[in-house]
Amino acid sequence: MATTTVTNAPAPKTNRLGLQVLDYRGGKTTLCAGCGHNSISERIIDAMYEMGVQPERLMKLSGIGCSSKSPAYFMGRSFSFNSVHGRMPSVATGALLSNHTMMALGVSGDGDTASIGMGQFVHLLRRNLPMIYIIEDNGVYGLTKGQFSATADVGSKLKTGVINDLPPIDTCSLAIQLGATFVGRSFSGDKKQLLAMLKAAIAHKGTVMLDVISPCVTFNDHEGSTKSYKYMQEHEEAIAEVGFVPSFEDIAVDYDPGTTYNVTMHDGSHLRLRKLHEGYNPTDRVTAVTQLMQSHATGEVLTGVFYVNTEKPTFIDQLNLVDAPLGTLPQERTRPAKAVLDEIMSKHR
Amino acid sequence: MGQTFTIGIGGAAGQGVATPGDIFAKIFSRRGLHVNAYNAYQSIIRGGHTFLTVRTGSGKVTNMGDRMDLLIPLNQDTMNRHLDLLTAGGACLYNADAIKPGTAADGVQLCPLPASKLADISRNKVAQNTLAIGAALSMAGIGFQSFESVLREQFKNKEDAVIAENIKLAWAGYDYATQNFKPFANPVPMTDNRYALLSGNAAMAMGGAAAGVKFYCAYPMSPATGVLHWMASHARQAGIMVRQAEDEIAVINMAIGAANAGVRSMCATSGGGFALMSEGLGLSAMMETPVVVIDCQRAGPSTGVPTKTEQGDLWQMLGAAFGDYPRVIAAPLDIADCFTLMPEIFNVSDRFQIPAIVLCDLLLSEGRLSVDPKVLDFNPTIDRGELIAQTNGTSAEDGGYKRYKITESGVSPRALPGLEGYIHTLSSDEHDEDGVLISDEYTNAAKRRAMMEKRMRKVQGIEAMVPAPTLQGSKTADVTLVGWGSTQGVIEEAREILLEQGITANQLQIRWLVPLHGEAILEILKDSPHTIIVENNYSGQFARYLRSETSFVPNGHIRKYDGEPFMPHHIVEAVKEQLAGKSTLSVPMHEIMV
Repeated sequence: MATTTVTNAPAPKTNRLGLQVLDYRGGKTTLCAGCGHNSISERIIDAMYEMGVQPERLMKLSGIGCSSKSPAYFMGRSFSFNSVHGRMPSVATGALLSNHTMMALGVSGDGDTASIGMGQFVHLLRRNLPMIYIIEDNGVYGLTKGQFSATADVGSKLKTGVINDLPPIDTCSLAIQLGATFVGRSFSGDKKQLLAMLKAAIAHKGTVMLDVISPCVTFNDHEGSTKSYKYMQEHEEAIAEVGFVPSFEDIAVDYDPGTTYNVTMHDGSHLRLRKLHEGYNPTDRVTAVTQLMQSHATGEVLTGVFYVNTEKPTFIDQLNLVDAPLGTLPQERTRPAKAVLDEIMSKHR
Repeated sequence: MGQTFTIGIGGAAGQGVATPGDIFAKIFSRRGLHVNAYNAYQSIIRGGHTFLTVRTGSGKVTNMGDRMDLLIPLNQDTMNRHLDLLTAGGACLYNADAIKPGTAADGVQLCPLPASKLADISRNKVAQNTLAIGAALSMAGIGFQSFESVLREQFKNKEDAVIAENIKLAWAGYDYATQNFKPFANPVPMTDNRYALLSGNAAMAMGGAAAGVKFYCAYPMSPATGVLHWMASHARQAGIMVRQAEDEIAVINMAIGAANAGVRSMCATSGGGFALMSEGLGLSAMMETPVVVIDCQRAGPSTGVPTKTEQGDLWQMLGAAFGDYPRVIAAPLDIADCFTLMPEIFNVSDRFQIPAIVLCDLLLSEGRLSVDPKVLDFNPTIDRGELIAQTNGTSAEDGGYKRYKITESGVSPRALPGLEGYIHTLSSDEHDEDGVLISDEYTNAAKRRAMMEKRMRKVQGIEAMVPAPTLQGSKTADVTLVGWGSTQGVIEEAREILLEQGITANQLQIRWLVPLHGEAILEILKDSPHTIIVENNYSGQFARYLRSETSFVPNGHIRKYDGEPFMPHHIVEAVKEQLAGKSTLSVPMHEIMV
C-alpha cells in the first residue's frame, strides 16, 4: 500500500532516452525569486525527464502573463509558441490539427484563462484536444501590478486593502463539466503531488487540465490572501494521494482496491489514487463537481486528481485524420485529385 | 455586352424565390450563355422581400444591368414594388388568383396565369412558381427540353412523384403561355460554349483548394458563410480540414496555429468578424506566419446591413492590428477572379511570411457568374517560399538555427516545429533573431530596430512580385474611370453605353490595394483629361487612400452607399453630369426598392 514510494525513487543520471536533466532545462528565469511558477517549471522538467519525453517532439504553447513567460524557462530543446493574451487554446487546436504527431503542453495563467481567454478555454475543454493545459493560478495579474483575477476568492484582500467582491471561477469544475478527461488541482509547493500528477498527465490521451495554485510573492502572498504560501499550507486538502507508475517501470507495489483507485492509462502506466476523502470517486463527474462545490463552502482548497476518463475519444481520434501530419504532406497531396475536381466541377455546370 | 435578357423574380423569404432562379440560371448556362445573378434579400428567414435578378446573353454579362425583360412577382408586394421596372417589350407573369396587376408602362405585356385552373394549388404551395417557369420557357423561346434535366437535378432529393408533378405543372404553364401570351421579340439564344456557374464564395473556396489549402476554419457570418458551406461540404472529398470555431478570434488563431505547423490555412468572415481578427492578424505579422483571410464586405458599421453590399472595409484592412508590418490586400475584380486570385495571394503570403487579405464583397460573394472553365486552373504554381519542411538528416548551419535570421530580403527561412536541429521559439513579443523575446529585463533598442527593418524590408520584394495595374480601353479618352474590386464589370458596361452616346471612357481597375504601385498609377492618370473615382462607399475610401499614397486628386467621384450595387446607368448618368460640369460628387439613387 505504500504506493508513492515509486515516485520517490532517486532518479538515475540519465533517463530511458539516455538524456540528462540538463537536456530538459530552459533559459534562466526572469520571474521573481520565490515565484510559484518557477517551482512548476522545475516539476515540468522533472516529469518530462523522468517520463523520457523526446524534447523535440514537444510544442510548448502559452498566452500572455507571468505564467506564459515560463515556457522559456524549461524544455529549451522543444518548440515554443508564445501567442497573444488568452488565445493559446485556439493556436494549440490549429497546431495540433496540422501536426497531430506532436505532444502539446500549454501554460496559461488565471487571467489568461479565466478572464480574457475564457471563451477559448471552455471550447478547448469541449474538444478534448490531446494536450496538457496548466493554469499557474495566483489570483492576481502580476505584470500589470497586482489586480484581482477571476479566480480570486470572494473576500480575499489585496495588499492595498481592496476586498474581492465576486466569487471565483472554479476552472476544475468547469473543466469536468465541459469534457476535459483529466482534471486536477495542485499546489506549486507540493512537489510530490505535482510531480506525480504531471507524469500522469504526460501519459494521458485527451485534455489534461491542471489548476496549480502558484503564489505570487510580490502581489498576493500576504495576510488576507487565499492564494498565499501560508494559506495553502494551512488549507490544502488532498482529496486523494496521487501515485504514478510509468509503463516502463515494473509494478512492484501492491495497492488495496478498497481504498485505492487504479487507473490504467493509455500507454500502460498506472495512476494510483488513494482516497483521503469520503465518497471520492475520480471516475464520476457528478461526484467530483459536488465535492469541489462542498470544498468552496468550507474554505478548504481541495487538491488532487478529481476526474479521469481514459475511454473518451480525443478530438484527433474523432476527425479521421491521415497518419502523416497535414503540415508536412508533399505538394502533390495538398491539392484535391483531378477526379475529385472534375466531380466538383460537374456540379457547377 | 450585346443583347441580354433579364428575369426578375420576387417574393417573400420562404416563398421559393431561389429555386426558379437556380433553374433559370442553369438552363441559360447550359444553352452556352453567360449568366449573372444577383439576389437582393433581407436578414429574415420567413417573410420580407427577396428579389432575384438573373441576366443572360451570348456575350459576357458582367452585372445585373439596367433593364428587366420579364418580371415574375410571387406576391402582391413584388408586383407593387417592381412593375414599373418593365419598359416596352417587357412582360409580367403572375398568378391571377392571388395577385392584382398594377398599371404597367406602355408596351408591357401583363400575363395573368389562372393558377387554380391549371393546377391543384391547394396541394402544392409553390405551384405558381413552376407554372411561371413553364410559361417563361415558352415566351422566351427556350423550349421545354432543357427544363426537365435541370429540374431533376434541382429536386434530386425529392421523390419521383414530386418531380413528375412539377414537370406536369411546368407543361401546363408552358402550353397556356404558348396559346395566350405574345413571345418576346428576341428569343433567348443558344451557343456551343460551356460555362461553370459559380458564386464568388464557391470560387474563393475552390481557388483555395487549388492553392493547396489544407486547413479552413470559420465562424458563420453573412455574406462569407458560403465559403464555409463549400468547404464543409467538400472537406472529405477534397481532403481539407474544416472546422467551425467559437468566434472569429479563435478562427484566426487556429488558422495561425495550423499555418505555423506547416499547412496553407485560410479563413473568411465579414467586417464585424474581421474586427475580432485584427489582434490575430498582428500575431501573424509578428510571428511571420503566413495566413490568408477573406473579408466579404457587407454594409457597415457594426451589424450594419448584413445582406447588402458595400466597399466600406478598406480602411479597416489598411489599419487592421496596431503597429507597422507588411501585409498584402487584394480585391478580386469578378467571380472568376475570386478563384484566380487565391493561388496568387497564397504565394505572396507564403513567400514573404505575412498576413494576406482578400477584400471581397457581398456582390461577388453571393452573386453568381458563368465562368469559362479554362480560367479555373486547378494546377496553379504553388510557391511556399523558404520553407524547411524536412531535414533530410541535415541541420541548420552551425547547428544554430535562427527562425528570425536577419537577411537582405527580410525573409528568414521558416522551419516547421518538430524538425530536429531547428528548435525555435515563435513569439508575439518582439524578439531577437532566435525568437527569444527582447522585452524581458531590458529592451534592446538596436535589436528592436533591426527586427522592424528586417520585417519591413519585405515590402520591396512584395512590390516586385505583385503586378502594377494597367489601363483598360484606349490610352486617350474623354474620361478615366477608376474603380477597385467588384465594380470592374459595371464600369465596363457603363463605358460601352457611354461610347454609344459619343463619350469615350477608359478604366483603371485596382486589384492589388497593398502594395498599390502609386508611381505606376500616377503615370497612367497624368494623361487623363478627367478622372472620376467610382466606389461603393460614403467617404471615398479608395480616393482618400490613393491621395494619401500619391497626392493624386481626381476631378470627381461617384459613390453609392445604400447597400445595393451600382447599375450601369448610375455611372453613365453621373459621368455625363460631371463632364457637363454640374457636379464633382454624384451619389446615384437606387431605384429598385429591395
